[in-house]
Amino acid sequence: MVVTPDRRPDVFGAISHPARRRMLDLLVEADRSVNTIAGHFQMSRPAVSQHLRVLLEAGLVTEQRRGRERCYHLVPERLGPVREWIAHYERFWDDRLLRLQQQLAKRSKE
Amino acid sequence: MTKTIRREIVIPQPREQVWRAITDRATLAEWMFPNDFEPRVGHCFSFHVPPNPKVGFDGLVVSCEVLECEPPTRLAFSWSAPGPVVDTRVSFRLEPDGDGTRLFFEHSGFDVSQPWGQQALRGAEFGWAKMLEQLSAIVVGLAADQK
Repeated sequence: MVVTPDRRPDVFGAISHPARRRMLDLLVEADRSVNTIAGHFQMSRPAVSQHLRVLLEAGLVTEQRRGRERCYHLVPERLGPVREWIAHYERFWDDRLLRLQQQLAKRSKE
Repeated sequence: MTKTIRREIVIPQPREQVWRAITDRATLAEWMFPNDFEPRVGHCFSFHVPPNPKVGFDGLVVSCEVLECEPPTRLAFSWSAPGPVVDTRVSFRLEPDGDGTRLFFEHSGFDVSQPWGQQALRGAEFGWAKMLEQLSAIVVGLAADQK
C-alpha cells in the first residue's frame, strides 16, 4: 500500500520546517559546526540544536565531534523519499485514466 | 531539470467521445473531481478534491488555466497544487486509432533537480510533508473507493 504509517522521525516531517530546510541548504555547501549554523539564525542556540536533532533523527545529517565542537554533515541520499512524490502522481494519473476509460465504456453501453 | 509523467493509452471509443469526456464539466467531475472547467483558452478553473476523513485528508484545491484547446485533438491546462507542484502542465492529445482513440497524456514540469534547493522547498508554502500526506490520502482514498 502507499501509506506506511511510520512512526520514526520521517524525512518529510524533518524538512517541513523552513529553518531546517535552511540548515540543509547550508550543509549542501559544506560541513558546518553548530556555532556556524547558529550564526545564520536569529533563534537561540538551544533552538538551533533542537532543529539539528530532528534532522539527525531523520538521518538527514550526521554528527561528528571535532574537538569541543559538534560538526554536521549532510546525507543527501536520505532525501530520496522526497523524489517519490512523483511516483505518487504517477499512481494518481494511472488511476484517473483508468476511471476515464471506465467512464467511457459505461457511456457507450448506455 | 524537470520530470514528465507520460502515458499512452488506447480507448475503444471514437475521438469525439473521448474529447467530450475530458472537456465536459460533469463528465470530467466523474473521473477527475468537481470543477468549473470551460473549454476555452485562458479560462481559470479549479478541481476540488474532496476531504477524506477516514485517512485524515482535508481535501485540496488544484488551480488550473486552460492553455490549449483544439477540439477534438488537444487539451492542455496548467496545474498548481498546494506544495511544490506549481505551474506544472497537464496535456491530452487524441489521435484516431482504428475505430478508437489513442490518448497521449503528459504531466510535465516537476522540478526534481534539487529537492533540497530553494525553489522546491522554500517556495513550498505547505511543505513537502503536507503535500505527500495529501497525495497519499488521495491514492488511499481511491483504492478504498474501488473496493
